[in-house]
Amino acid sequence: MKRLLENISRRDFMKYCAAAAAVLGLSELEFATKVTEALAAARKKPPVIWLEGQDCAGCSISFAGSLNPPFAQMVLDRVSVRYHETIMAGSGHVAEAAYHKTVKEGGYVLCIEGSIPTADDRFCMVGGRSFRKIVKEAGAKAAAIIAVGACATYGGIPAAGPTGAVGVNKIIKNKPVINLPTCPVHCDHLIGTILYYLTTKKVPPLDKIGRPKMYFGELIHDNCRRRSYFDNEQFLTDWNDPAQKNWCLYQKGCKGPDTYSDCPVRRWNDGLNFCIDCGAGCMGCAEPGFYSEMSPLYTAESKRSRNIMARKKAGLIPPQEEVV
Amino acid sequence: MGKKIVVDPVTRIEGHLKITVEIENNKVKDAWSSGTMARGIEALLQGRDPRDAPFVTSRLCGVCFSVHQIASSYALDKAFGARVPWGGTLLRNLAMGAEYIYDHVLHFYHLSALDYIDIMAVAAYKGKDKALNAVKDKIVGLVKTKDTFPLTPRYKPDEFCVRDPDMVISAVKHYIDALSMHAKARNMGAIFGGRTPHYQSIVVGGFTQLPDVNQVAMFRAMLDEQAKFVNEVYIPDVLAFGTGPLFPLAKIGLGGGHYNYLSYGAFQLDKAGKKLVFPPGVIEGLNPADIKIGRFNQKKVTESVKYGWYKKDGPKHPYKGKQVFDLDKRRAYSFVKAPRYNGKPMEVGPLARMLVAKNPDVLGLVAKGVKPGVVARHAARAIETKLVVDACYKWLDMLLSEMTKPRFKIHDTKHWAPPANGTGAGFYEAPRGALGHWVKIKGKKIANYQMVVPSTWNASPRCEKKLRGPYEQALIGAPVPDPDNPINVVRIVRSFDPCLACAIHLIDPKTNEIKKFLVE
Repeated sequence: MKRLLENISRRDFMKYCAAAAAVLGLSELEFATKVTEALAAARKKPPVIWLEGQDCAGCSISFAGSLNPPFAQMVLDRVSVRYHETIMAGSGHVAEAAYHKTVKEGGYVLCIEGSIPTADDRFCMVGGRSFRKIVKEAGAKAAAIIAVGACATYGGIPAAGPTGAVGVNKIIKNKPVINLPTCPVHCDHLIGTILYYLTTKKVPPLDKIGRPKMYFGELIHDNCRRRSYFDNEQFLTDWNDPAQKNWCLYQKGCKGPDTYSDCPVRRWNDGLNFCIDCGAGCMGCAEPGFYSEMSPLYTAESKRSRNIMARKKAGLIPPQEEVV
Repeated sequence: MGKKIVVDPVTRIEGHLKITVEIENNKVKDAWSSGTMARGIEALLQGRDPRDAPFVTSRLCGVCFSVHQIASSYALDKAFGARVPWGGTLLRNLAMGAEYIYDHVLHFYHLSALDYIDIMAVAAYKGKDKALNAVKDKIVGLVKTKDTFPLTPRYKPDEFCVRDPDMVISAVKHYIDALSMHAKARNMGAIFGGRTPHYQSIVVGGFTQLPDVNQVAMFRAMLDEQAKFVNEVYIPDVLAFGTGPLFPLAKIGLGGGHYNYLSYGAFQLDKAGKKLVFPPGVIEGLNPADIKIGRFNQKKVTESVKYGWYKKDGPKHPYKGKQVFDLDKRRAYSFVKAPRYNGKPMEVGPLARMLVAKNPDVLGLVAKGVKPGVVARHAARAIETKLVVDACYKWLDMLLSEMTKPRFKIHDTKHWAPPANGTGAGFYEAPRGALGHWVKIKGKKIANYQMVVPSTWNASPRCEKKLRGPYEQALIGAPVPDPDNPINVVRIVRSFDPCLACAIHLIDPKTNEIKKFLVE
């Protein structure tokens, strides 16, 4: 249809409309309008507003690191990024105008990166306005809301600090918020969620705390390749020892038994590596307790870690059945 | 009194930055740089297990994350008495090297380039190159659908913007190519780092992942691709623009500043730490014909909070001063503190490093008439990327030979437990400049944690002596013929590669606790 319209004159177009309208029993004007609308809709890329609050831009960088599909394809072909401070060309009033125009039109996908300070609005100001108010304002007319990364979902590391940092669902309460934790967000989780919404116009099925079940449905522990070492209580204590290289990282603070995410299966950076494979263990960044409850991160001294061992001893984390 | 204009938010940077300039006779007469977001990372570390610090401080910035992990680990290594095995240092350097390569490429193409080209000039491309015509079709296609976000809206291109269709279209192609190149560079970092952003494997005492030969080979192969891009695309682009159409900007020295430069030095090339990729040093008042490098003495560092949202104090050595939060303070305009060296504001970053190193390529450009300023900053950044690429090859060779030794080590496990008490300072060079972390441990917990990061130096507000910070000073005299279109203002600020999330740290406003810090 697009190619056809580009190659025909207006006169030909009206002739075509008259003939088609006669077949469909519509007035010529009505038909021409419908065709134009449909074309406009087909051409119009879904608008996206991306806000950054108390963030480190790590989630933006994670998003920008997608190779398949390429980030360039996402932002130039699939969606219309109206406002994103880290990538947009415009600054200052030019950027602000684009934001306000998009909010006025409504119906956009709203991505929020970073937490929102509640102790005092002045802890995060953008364009001279409080970030908390901007989140409320943008949330009101959004078609879908995605909290991107640990800070925007459950407060993350800033929640442990003095600014009263909270996640998006503590500010926007009357609409569903899709929570994509992990610090930073996994680009597959983000792109997949956006594409799921654009394809189905629906929010993906979520768990009790707002995370898409398709990514956060299974425990890291249940898919961990070091699992048999946990079951046998062979815990790595020396990173230099080749014999221990694949042992369980419980003693190094791994919170895999308490964390839901598909990291062990999906892995990170195009499947190259991820936290547990590089010997550092899971820090529980997909869970609401991150960071405070996971601390100390690198030992088994946290309440969480002690609880994991208590559950193991009580037989509540039974050895994984051997695959025959 | 000239006309005041405010750019807020300054986009295509990391963090939240507001720039106010006063314009008189079409030029910037005065300028104010304000950081407008705070999280209190230093405050939340108080009382924690010190080993958490590299992980937590990594989250200061998601753009250049591993520098904080490393600086933090260096500070803790000292406090713990840990001696990082050479293998651990090499792995840290390789992870860090990957970050430099990704970060500098990202900064030039994705955060800066749009300030220097009229992207719409691609429509006038008449050449036959297939790949370039695909770029033309893509951009023209976007224009036809009337949806060119996020490439527009923008400040109107001014007389300095490059409009030559051949140059612009290859720049736009490289913008798109660089998107996958920076992602691949980060993947390269993840081979050892675990994942990016935010590596996992850098810890007190060394590294957590024993590498295998496959990983070394994979890193090398990926480095080959990066080296090709840096040498054949990035550096030629920067030089072609800087000495070609942007030479007028280079010649007037747009965005010069105070001409004071500081580098802590970084990147060991030998086990003894005698040879560094970036040497340390200080330049107080640059004379390009006769560059005098002073020895860096950290006792000469002071921090001022006179114009920061902190209770009146100082100026004092940053680790002896009190910093108590005060949001209502009159005349304060930033969360960023104002560090000074020997009482002077200092520029840190690639240009500072290359001048302190007396890098012949950068000095050659200066001799050709490229005055220290925005163009020189971009050039220094590109030139040092090559130094890092070359160093990565050396580190890979050294790592491989280290791995063949029977007792190959990556971690000082003997010193993994925190000491009862201790202090340590870690100095490093982040892509954005001189970075310092300081830790004080009491009863095996963090009693105090302090950071002075590159953007604290560069984005600093005024101090007691009313000396402007480096951004502010660099803006003075910049041509702004159209107040609605202050494109030179953002060019200057972006040339420093700002990272505001890093620059701001707070002390607990609830307890208003006074933090004291003593450096050994």
